[in-house]
Amino acid sequence: MNLQNMEATVDPELVHHWITAIGSDSSAAVPILQAIQGHYGYLPRKAMDLVVAQTGINASQLYGVATFYAQFRLKPVGRHMIKVCHGTACHVQGADRLNTSLRHALGISNPEQDTASNGSYTVENVACIGCCSLAPVMVIDGQAFPNVKGADAQRQLFKHARENNEILAGQDAEN
Amino acid sequence: MSNTQWTITVGEGSCGIAAGAPEVTELLKKRLPDAQFKSVGCVGMCHREVMVETVDDQGRSYLWGNLTKKNLPKVIQFLRGDGVLPKTLLIRSSEEPDCEGGHYLTRQTRIALRNVGQLNPTSMAQYLDRGGYDAIKKIITSGMTPEAVIEEVKIAKIRGRGGAGFPTATKWGFARNAPGDVKYLVCNGDEGDPGAFMDRSLLEGDPHNVLEGMLIAAYAIGASKGYAYIRAEYPLAVQYFGQAIQDAREAGYLGYHILGSDFSFDIKIKEGAGAFVCGEETALMASIQGERGMPRIRPPFPAISGLFGKPTIINNVETLANLPWIIQNGGAAYAAIGTEKSSGTKVFALAGAIARGGLVEVPMGVTIRHVLENIGGGSASTRPLKAVQLGGPSGGCIPERLFDTPIEYEAINATGAIMGSGGMVVMDSKSCMVDLARYFLEFTENESCGKCTFCRIGTLRMKEILTRICAGEGTMEDIDLLEDLGRSVQSASLCGLGQTAANPVLTTIKYFRDEYIAHVQEKRCPGGVCKGLITHTILNDKCSGCSICERYCPVNAITGTLKHPDTWVIDPKICINCGMCAEVCNPDAILAA
Repeated sequence: MNLQNMEATVDPELVHHWITAIGSDSSAAVPILQAIQGHYGYLPRKAMDLVVAQTGINASQLYGVATFYAQFRLKPVGRHMIKVCHGTACHVQGADRLNTSLRHALGISNPEQDTASNGSYTVENVACIGCCSLAPVMVIDGQAFPNVKGADAQRQLFKHARENNEILAGQDAEN
Repeated sequence: MSNTQWTITVGEGSCGIAAGAPEVTELLKKRLPDAQFKSVGCVGMCHREVMVETVDDQGRSYLWGNLTKKNLPKVIQFLRGDGVLPKTLLIRSSEEPDCEGGHYLTRQTRIALRNVGQLNPTSMAQYLDRGGYDAIKKIITSGMTPEAVIEEVKIAKIRGRGGAGFPTATKWGFARNAPGDVKYLVCNGDEGDPGAFMDRSLLEGDPHNVLEGMLIAAYAIGASKGYAYIRAEYPLAVQYFGQAIQDAREAGYLGYHILGSDFSFDIKIKEGAGAFVCGEETALMASIQGERGMPRIRPPFPAISGLFGKPTIINNVETLANLPWIIQNGGAAYAAIGTEKSSGTKVFALAGAIARGGLVEVPMGVTIRHVLENIGGGSASTRPLKAVQLGGPSGGCIPERLFDTPIEYEAINATGAIMGSGGMVVMDSKSCMVDLARYFLEFTENESCGKCTFCRIGTLRMKEILTRICAGEGTMEDIDLLEDLGRSVQSASLCGLGQTAANPVLTTIKYFRDEYIAHVQEKRCPGGVCKGLITHTILNDKCSGCSICERYCPVNAITGTLKHPDTWVIDPKICINCGMCAEVCNPDAILAA
């Protein structure tokens, strides 16, 4: 699947609803973007345009905020999100290997890419999720996995893929 | 089967949930349908999650740890009266006084954490039962003036637990005396230090205590509005704190005319969006205002002109969590704990190569060694401990020979590290201090907001040099250059991020120069970490020929014949030294050196 096809269809009423609920002054910029991303997984351009049109927040402020904070993404994401913690404890315990093994399993070889070509999973590095005593830690769709080694990361991913009917490039490595 | 009535308490903080608490609870409920269940936040013994306490109707208690679906049947059998006591899973018991795990908690002094792991964070009734909101009631009903509250906190001598250690009462005094009708009180829950989770545990485990701390601070400075700025990465903390706000508002502890007095105060939650620099006060305020989180020059200080141009006080979660206790017990009682210049207790998040990682609250003045050895149980492996990283990216590495340094602001600063918010990441001999410095520089370079040239470019150049050294391409001049650049970034940056960014580099060079020299001159990584300087080889005499390394190698660099150990080899031209093979190899037949 071409990743371009993953662009979300934006519902203007939903965007309007968030603006009404959160506010339309400039201090609402971050929470509005969080609401949009919470729903679509990223910030679709169309939704950003609607915010600019319907609030007192101008485009440069909105895009300035969207590109400043690590949480926001301007590109579509896969159907499932994997967050790999790269806090100090996780780094020391080998968080890098989690990335290597997950990317291998997903067939993502280009270092510039973070989403499997079939749009199944996106692998994202996060600063610290605060479960340092259980390092290394990764989170798939909100569920955290503690003390995961590189090989465990693949196993958990394959299990998740099976349960969610996703097909992975490297699944033949599993036995 | 016995008819014992059990009350079962499950630790369901983020770490407990991550370790599998929901599965364990489900199974316990199924097999012990008559038991009463309670949910609490993280007790702090994260190394023993999933943790469950069972107490019978005669008060006999058993605290279990490391529970999984697999070993749980043994505990269930025992609780049902038809099995032996599974001692390996027992942490502490009223019936077994010699359990080792009990020391973890008994060797601590818990003030900020006093309720964490003891109550259900979503139950305001349980907080009230433990004396919750008595401090704010005392202030209002006894007619304590804001000045009297500030005086009590001054007597307590508490310093800001966010890291810098500025005296809390002094800061409050500035805002109290600043002109203006509208003042703000902000709770800084943007715990961005990788390796720290004290704020998460406090917000998740005892949100009403933090909220009551906010009420006390707001009353003291005359604030009518408050914000709790909490990391979006802590969804449970956001949820529980939101619920605490709602419950407190309904009970009359928040809103207009609190407890019938003239004091009005309300709180909104703002979720952080993943910018480390927002831990800095002026950047945090910019973020709340919907801008990029960039710091600005001070003065004006936030206490005079802060959020939306109004006087603003920003206190760290841990500082706030101490306040109800201080008001209830008096400032002098707090000042009696700790040392002359560093009073009270400090919460640390212990992680890394330590046997018993988790949350630890100790009186100031105890030594680092006490925390690591007597509470943390020393090294998690047979390897000796070599250093502790204190204060995250703003902090530094303290070598083992300085472990007798007392935990107080000035003594820690003298080592080149800082107290910071309390992250303690422990390293043993299998870690590389140069790699660690590179890791932190990559972090700060990434998190620099870009406003100050030295921070923006200086951290980038330092990271490049460190990357070069880790790849075995460094020179001795690089080490001097790192020190020079580090000092320049320190002195020419506007906010704490840049001012402290060089600390991990400078302290590792100061205490572990030999490791830098090994990387540069001998092209060797003593910790066996830096990919450019190690080679993975199969020790055929240890190999079992099982092929698991081949299956997990992401680049197909390993070949051999099944069950023929002598045939297995790693092609060094293909190998990327990721270490997956060594990780999965059961007979430990892969050497990284």
